[in-house]
Amino acid sequence: MIARSILRAALAAALVSLPGMAQAQFPNIGGLVKGVQNVKKLGDSLRKIPEPEEIKIGGDLASIILGAAPLVQDAEKQRYVNRVGRWLAMHSDRPDLPWQFGIVETDDVNAFSMPGGYVLISRGMFDQMRNEAELAGVLAHEIAHVAKKDHLGALQGSLRNAALGDFTEYVGGNGGIGGAFKAALISAGKDMFTRGLNHDDEYDADRMGVVIAARSGYSPYGLVGVLQTLSAAPEEKGYALMNKTHPLPVDRIERLDRAMGTKFDTVIAVVEDLPSFVALRAAPAPAAAKSTPARAPARSRPRRRN
Amino acid sequence: MRRCAAILLAAVLLCRVTSAEAAEKGQILRAGDLLAQPFIDAAKAGPVTANQPVTILERRGAWASVESNGTKGWVRLLNLRLEAGAARPGASRPGMASLRTGSSGRTATTGIKGMDEEDIRNATPDYQELELLGTLAVTADDARATAQKAALKENTVAYLDKGRSRK
Ligand SMILES: [Zn+2]
Repeated sequence: MIARSILRAALAAALVSLPGMAQAQFPNIGGLVKGVQNVKKLGDSLRKIPEPEEIKIGGDLASIILGAAPLVQDAEKQRYVNRVGRWLAMHSDRPDLPWQFGIVETDDVNAFSMPGGYVLISRGMFDQMRNEAELAGVLAHEIAHVAKKDHLGALQGSLRNAALGDFTEYVGGNGGIGGAFKAALISAGKDMFTRGLNHDDEYDADRMGVVIAARSGYSPYGLVGVLQTLSAAPEEKGYALMNKTHPLPVDRIERLDRAMGTKFDTVIAVVEDLPSFVALRAAPAPAAAKSTPARAPARSRPRRRN
Repeated sequence: MRRCAAILLAAVLLCRVTSAEAAEKGQILRAGDLLAQPFIDAAKAGPVTANQPVTILERRGAWASVESNGTKGWVRLLNLRLEAGAARPGASRPGMASLRTGSSGRTATTGIKGMDEEDIRNATPDYQELELLGTLAVTADDARATAQKAALKENTVAYLDKGRSRK
C-alpha cells in the first residue's frame, strides 16, 4: 500500500511538472496559457507507465469486451483456461503479471488481450479447437501481445493528446477529472478492438507465441492448426471481426512457415492434447451452469440479443 | 446405471475425437513426396503434386498423415491447405450468418450470440464481470502443479527471427 502511494506520487511528479491546481482555481487562465498547456500532454509515455497503471488500463479495456459478451457460466472451464494460460504466461517475458483468462459467451470466433495480463477468448473460438495445443497456441499469441505491450503502443496514438493531469487523476482513482481520461481510454479501446493492432505486431506475436507454447510443453503447431481452420473458414459473419482485425490466415501461416522451418523438429517433449481438454470440449456446456461462481444478484445489464 | 452412463460418455468422447479428426479435406501446397514416417529423412511413400486433394487422417506436431488416391503418407503440416469453406466436423459453426438478415445482422434468431463491431462500439464496460474474472484466476503454483500432473515438459527454445522466404 505504501509502495503504491510512493509510486503514485513519483508518477505524478514525473508526469506533471506544473501544478494542475493553478488551472482549477483560475479556470480562465486555462485558455490564456493553452500554448503552454499543450506541453503537458501524455505524449509518448504510455508504454513506459508503471505496472499498476498498466493493469488498471487493462481492466477498463477488458470490461468493454465483457460488456459486449459476458463470461461463460462454467467455472470449471474458466479455471481450466486460467491454468493453461497462466502456465504459458510463466514462459513469457512477463511471468509475474496478475494474469487473468476468460472465455466469453459468443458464437463469434475471436480472441482479445489487454495491457496488464488480461486475455479473453470467445466460446466460438474455443469450440473450433481440435486439441489443447491449439488452445495453447491462441492463448500464447495473446500473451505475446501483452508481453510486447502492443496495446499500449496502439492506444498511444489516440491518447497522446490526453492531458497529463487527467491521467494522474485517473490513476488516483477518484473520478472527477480522471473521468475525462477514462472516457478517452474507453473510446480508444473500442477503436483498438474494432480496428486491430499493427499487422507486424500480429506476425511478431505469432512467432513469439509458438515459442511460448513449445517452452511450456505444447506442440508449437497448435497455432498453425487454428490458422488453418481460419483460412478454410466459410465467409460468415462469425469470423468477420477477427478477419478485419488480423492479417489473412494464409499470410500468417506462410510467415510462420518461414520462421519455423524445421527448427522445432528436435523439440520433441511436446504434447498435442491432454485428457483435460477432451473432457471439457465434449462436456455439454449448459449442464455445467450449476458450478458457476456466485454472481451478484439482480444484474441490470441489458441483454441485447438472444 | 451409473456405469452405463460412464460407458456411454466414453463412447461419446471417442466419437467426438475420431469424427473430428477423420473427415478433414485439404490440398497439397507444394509438390513433393509423401513420407512413410513423420521424419524429414524417412523413406518416400509416393509423389504428390501441388493442389492435389488429400484426406487428413491425423495431425502430429509438424506433420500430418494424409491419404490420396489410395496412397497414405506423412506431409509437413505447413505444406497443407484446408479445403475452403469446410467447417470442421465436430465443431459448432459460429454465427450461422445465413440466419441473420439486415445490415446489422440483428434478427432475433434464438441461440445466436454474436459480438461484432457494433456490439463492441455500443458496449458499456461491465465491472461486475471484471470482478468475476478476477475470482477465476489461478496462482503460478496452481498452474505449475496442474502442468506437472499432466506431465507437461518444459523446453528451452530461443525466440525466432523472421526467417527467409522459400523462393
Ligand atoms: Zn493478435
